[in-house]
Amino acid sequence: MNLLTRLASSAALAAIMALSPLAAEAADITIAIGSEPSTLDPQIRDDGGERAINDNVYETLMARTPEGELVAGLAAAAPVQVDPTTWEFKLRPDVKFHNGEAFNADAVVNSVKRVIDPAFKSEQMAYFGTITGAAKVDDLTVRVTTSGPDPILPSRMYWMKMVPASYSADAKFAEAPVGTGPYKFTSWNRGQDIVLEKNADYWGNAPTIDKVTYRFVGESGTRLSGLMAGELDVITNLLPEFAEQAPKFAAVSGLETTVMILSTDNEVTKDPRVREALNISVDRKALADSLFGGYASPVKGQLVNPKAFGYNKALPEYTFDLDKAKALVKEAGAEGKTVTIVGEAGRWLKDRELIEAVGAYWKETGLNVEIRIEDFGEYLNQLFDKNKRPDAIFVSNSNELLDADREMTFALQSKASAASNSDQEMSDQISAARTETDVEKRQAMYDALTKKSYEQSYLAPLLNQQDIYGFSKRLEWQPRVDSKLLVKEMKVTE
Amino acid sequence: MGGFLLRRIGQGLLVVIGVTLIVFIATRMVGDPVRVMLPLSATDEQRAAFAQQVGLDRPMGEQFVDFVGDLARLDFGESMWQRRPALDVVLERLPNTLKLIGAGLGLAILLALPLGAIAALRPGGWIDRTTVFVGLFGLSLPQFWFGLILIVFFAVTLRWLPTSGMGGMAYYILPAVTLAMPSLARLVMLVRSSMIDELNQQYVKTARAKGLRFPRVVMVHAMRNTLVPFVTLAGWELISALAGYTVVVETVFAWPGLGLTAMQAIQKSDLFLLQAIVFTVAILIVVINVALDVVYKLIDPRIRLA
Repeated sequence: MNLLTRLASSAALAAIMALSPLAAEAADITIAIGSEPSTLDPQIRDDGGERAINDNVYETLMARTPEGELVAGLAAAAPVQVDPTTWEFKLRPDVKFHNGEAFNADAVVNSVKRVIDPAFKSEQMAYFGTITGAAKVDDLTVRVTTSGPDPILPSRMYWMKMVPASYSADAKFAEAPVGTGPYKFTSWNRGQDIVLEKNADYWGNAPTIDKVTYRFVGESGTRLSGLMAGELDVITNLLPEFAEQAPKFAAVSGLETTVMILSTDNEVTKDPRVREALNISVDRKALADSLFGGYASPVKGQLVNPKAFGYNKALPEYTFDLDKAKALVKEAGAEGKTVTIVGEAGRWLKDRELIEAVGAYWKETGLNVEIRIEDFGEYLNQLFDKNKRPDAIFVSNSNELLDADREMTFALQSKASAASNSDQEMSDQISAARTETDVEKRQAMYDALTKKSYEQSYLAPLLNQQDIYGFSKRLEWQPRVDSKLLVKEMKVTE
Repeated sequence: MGGFLLRRIGQGLLVVIGVTLIVFIATRMVGDPVRVMLPLSATDEQRAAFAQQVGLDRPMGEQFVDFVGDLARLDFGESMWQRRPALDVVLERLPNTLKLIGAGLGLAILLALPLGAIAALRPGGWIDRTTVFVGLFGLSLPQFWFGLILIVFFAVTLRWLPTSGMGGMAYYILPAVTLAMPSLARLVMLVRSSMIDELNQQYVKTARAKGLRFPRVVMVHAMRNTLVPFVTLAGWELISALAGYTVVVETVFAWPGLGLTAMQAIQKSDLFLLQAIVFTVAILIVVINVALDVVYKLIDPRIRLA
């Protein structure tokens, strides 16, 4: 090799290196979440901080697309119902846990049995209450059984994380998780950070980001500062008023919908005309713009999340008509009578402001409105009180499983957790929809239920909240409707 | 001295027991922890099952007997939120808070003595007026706001320091300054005023008349007398910092300390963790009080511990 070619080749090498800094630099990002996980066991707590991390370490039989559509995850295909209470899942072959354990029928059976074991005291039983067991058919086939026909089972299996059959019994499991996901656990420095790194043997598309560091910053102003100072790449729950200050941000329709649950038995609110007046006297668009900077959408006649199964596409937005509301209140002879709103402050974004604004709108109709902001414990006592329902109680409903069953059983089914009506027929229909496994019939049932609730104004649903994320300039990501922070979908450009 | 210590420790134990009882009763009166712990969508059956598992469905009297028995063995039960022994959580977070208090109060104490003394040398002079002005300013600053302003200036604009979190020395500077500010202001004002008093005393004039140099009079004689009220106030600052004044700073700077953990335990209605935190802090405060009495004795031999 003579001098000239050597010079030329080194010049070429230098040029390549200068042109592609990415090739030389590993892509590491830092994500700030609001609270530190209390444990990294993926099956025991109902904790957003834990999910933010374990959603990348663990996987589930069913998954969702960023738009919310239910698709196969660790299952090879959607499950088949072999009888009303048994669902059969075929598993994806050749999947391994990070520690080398095979993902197979044994792992699935163990995962199901572990989480439903009463002695395990899992808070996630709120999602898995109908599941009674799981049995292996062959190495890649599992049958999951339910206490009654359960059409929501596939969605439930999108929530249940699959843990390794033997390591999940290890004492270290809660501190050093091992899943099948695109990222594997590296370290947890309690109080400071959690680090994950890319799983080189991941069965799916290889993720592009090599290392993720999670930090725990509860105060939203501090999170934004970290983003602006270049320490962070992704922050969650960016406040609407700060969105424009972030280097980049994205908003996506979220899981939370706010609502006033109206009582059908109390003196003033038992009159459907009054309840209708309460619904049409609220200018939801103005609330979304003034309180949430436009990062919230007025609901379309129902509490059901727009991305959930069972959403009624035919219902309209509530029309804001104060004159009609006044007339309705007058007609019902309720002028000057008192409607009490029970609420809390600080649990949900701008809850107090929203409650007070709605109360002010209601006052315009000629009703007298009393707002009682209670301490959270006392608020829950009233929310779950079966006998004495407040005229209106504020709540923000979150639909993790994206199925209308949540809204129905939580806010509409008489004597269920937080419902305030005594419509026995509706209650029976909700129970029937709960066990109807024919998809189209079930959708039709929910269409009828949401329509009736709309016509009877059992609820005054308010706004579907949007999740706002802040990003650094270099980060690219389309946030998901299920609010999951999946690092495998993120990219760094530099 | 030995008898004194025993008596104080005995009194302290009574205080600790009293505080713990109040927490036991108060935490059970404020709402139903089971409802707060479980998701809103949980059914009544699930709530009942959970209450039974953590033992909160039993009569209050029975819970209380168990509680006292466990307390005697220093067993605070399992944190419902963290799913590990409550005492482990406390012992993991306490050192972080102690480090923050050490840095913040250390800064306040080290600066307060010279600043207050210098200001007192010429009451009404420009140094004195500046000190008083800055002191009042420091007292009236909301810590929350002050912390965020420091972050915006030093971490976001200048990028000299990290915005939040815990790590090397650089991570201590902003939270320590934020924590120190109001304490420093109070301590400086105290040193200044008691120094002015001392310097007007007859013994100072006598010492000067006997030919002692002024710096020596200030540093040795007047300062020693100023130290008694100073230690009292510094002790109070330490106790109030431990008893929760660090919460704001820990929140703003995402500092993984005990204050932040206590607030989270309250939000999550984690009774067992809260009991462990209050018990630990109460013991620390009793210990500090005894230590302060001993320090008084060392500073001023006239004080008799009885």
